Amino acid sequence: MSEHEHDESARPAVSRPRTAPEEPSPAGLRRELPAEVPAPAPAPSEEDVAQEPAGPELTGRQRLAKGLWPPRITRAQLIVALLLFGLGFGLAVQVASNSDGDSALRGARQEDLVRILDELDDRTERLEDEKQGLEKQRDELENSSDQAEEARKQTIEKERQLGVLAGTVAAQGPGITMTIEDPKGTVESDMLLDAVQELRAAGAEAIQVNGVRVVASTYLTDSDGGIAVDGNKITAPYRFKVIGKPQDLEPALNIPGGVVQTLEKEQATVTVERSSKIVVDALRAVKRPDYARSSSR
Amino acid sequence: MIAVLGLVVGVVAGLLVRPEVPAVVEPYLPIAVVAALDAVFGGLRAMLDGIFDDKVFVVSFLSNVVVAALIVFLGDKLGVGAQLSTGVVVVLGIRIFSNAAAIRRHVFRA
Repeated sequence: MSEHEHDESARPAVSRPRTAPEEPSPAGLRRELPAEVPAPAPAPSEEDVAQEPAGPELTGRQRLAKGLWPPRITRAQLIVALLLFGLGFGLAVQVASNSDGDSALRGARQEDLVRILDELDDRTERLEDEKQGLEKQRDELENSSDQAEEARKQTIEKERQLGVLAGTVAAQGPGITMTIEDPKGTVESDMLLDAVQELRAAGAEAIQVNGVRVVASTYLTDSDGGIAVDGNKITAPYRFKVIGKPQDLEPALNIPGGVVQTLEKEQATVTVERSSKIVVDALRAVKRPDYARSSSR
Repeated sequence: MIAVLGLVVGVVAGLLVRPEVPAVVEPYLPIAVVAALDAVFGGLRAMLDGIFDDKVFVVSFLSNVVVAALIVFLGDKLGVGAQLSTGVVVVLGIRIFSNAAAIRRHVFRA
């Protein structure tokens, strides 16, 4: 029995060692002795489905050729074909399942896997750090660009406000219109200057008189038959368009001993109208100061 | 010839169908394939020696596969699955080599 098992484990298909006790061929093969004559073919003596009853001189090569051609459909061939089909199927499935996807990791040993995992962890950590740094940088950039945008907006707003004061942009808003009729030609520049001062004191933000913008540097002079405002001669009636709070401006003009009374003493007629929308559209050219420079910055 | 055809058809079918290997079978399939290969080489050698017997071949084929799978299963249960399957593969590999050497002597006379 032990011999049988040994035979089967060494070469799984031995035909009945009990009935073919001599078996010289495997032993001869093992010893690598010179070209052993083909096995004395124990086969012919027994029923032998897998092979032709071979003559004693039949070599292994001839047997192989005989087994391959011509094809014979025998029970043995079919059974072996079935088993080999199973083998081929399993082989192909295994190869296919091994060669797709993470085949690099599939055969790896445990220590390798642990090392790879550690490396991946380290790498993840590094990348996480890098990501945080980059996000921080991005936030800073966004903030700074927001700040820059905000500063730009404020600058534009300030420019508009200053433009209203400097008379370089048109302005509109609530205010009053004051018309001074001067039938006798008695109104002089200082009276108009008083009116302008009074308006400014009452909070006027933009003033124009007869199409001339009144700003900080405006000067008023008498000229024959009228008044010159910044050198532009204007004649009666003098129409002031003033943007400011009407409820402040009108009383400021009408206070006792104020502008209106003074002018009426000179027989000029003054009408003051409140309006919810005054447009001051007379402009002054931007003039760059020759000597004064901004000291901020 | 029919047997060779069976092998070829099996490989082609496995490649074409490409079934999902069930998770239960997955660790045993490679070992079973190697064991079956060993049986096939043994059978080929026996055929060249002129002592081929289909019944022996069938029994050895199946028992090889079952025993190999059993060893791996046992190894997994004992916690030495990797080492044990390595051992099985080594043993089967040695046998395949020795069988291949015998076949070579038959076919090439060298």
